[in-house]
Amino acid sequence: MTRCLCLVQQDQTPEAKRAQLQQGLQRFSEGAFGQAADITWISVPAGSGFTAAAPSTSSIVSFTADQPIEQDERVSLLGELCDLWMQETGCSLAEIVAVISDPRAV
Amino acid sequence: MPLYVCNSTKGVIDDGAKPKIADDITRIHCEVTGAPPEFVHAFFFEDASHFPLDGNTAFLFGSIRGGRTDAQKARIVEEMRQSIHAHSGIPLDEIVATTVDTPASWVMEGGDVLPEPGEEAAWLAAHEAKLAAESQAGS
Repeated sequence: MTRCLCLVQQDQTPEAKRAQLQQGLQRFSEGAFGQAADITWISVPAGSGFTAAAPSTSSIVSFTADQPIEQDERVSLLGELCDLWMQETGCSLAEIVAVISDPRAV
Repeated sequence: MPLYVCNSTKGVIDDGAKPKIADDITRIHCEVTGAPPEFVHAFFFEDASHFPLDGNTAFLFGSIRGGRTDAQKARIVEEMRQSIHAHSGIPLDEIVATTVDTPASWVMEGGDVLPEPGEEAAWLAAHEAKLAAESQAGS
């Protein structure tokens, strides 16, 4: 199972929207990695998120693959992930940070 | 990226201190690394189980692009601890900070894979040119 961490601004991503995102992220994980994702949501409390020292509207979605992936494939998947996030949330590309990590060496 | 997450016990960093610390985090990171402020995210939490305090009062965790020197990372950690101390009053020995390296090639921000350290200016120029072209095509 892949792992996915979503850091979102509390006042930007209501619970109903989160359910849709969750489904989309599971579809993405199954398509990208061939398996479901263990998704963790963390809400940044209102007034507690800053980007460039100003109130933040950024979301961070971070997958950890279960095996190393080629960079060309990673870039393609990162683009897909950003598209998914924009479609489901209505946010702009500038408001998404997408990460796809290889498993870390222990 | 970088993403700095500051977790602390409830009530010790008030709402007035957060923007000041975020401002310092942004300034310090940019001064030390030369990165543009647009990349710097600072998020604050209270008693968040995902970022364990392990008996400390505040824990600052920075996920930064790989390629920084040990001296740069040490300066980031020390100056950010001092900022939290100065704006919150938390004793310095109750504030822990650390960073972890994340390869730039793993991260997409604004639709582009992030540049390696030192290549930010060229990346920003290309990124802004791309946005301008897309804006023009869409108008």
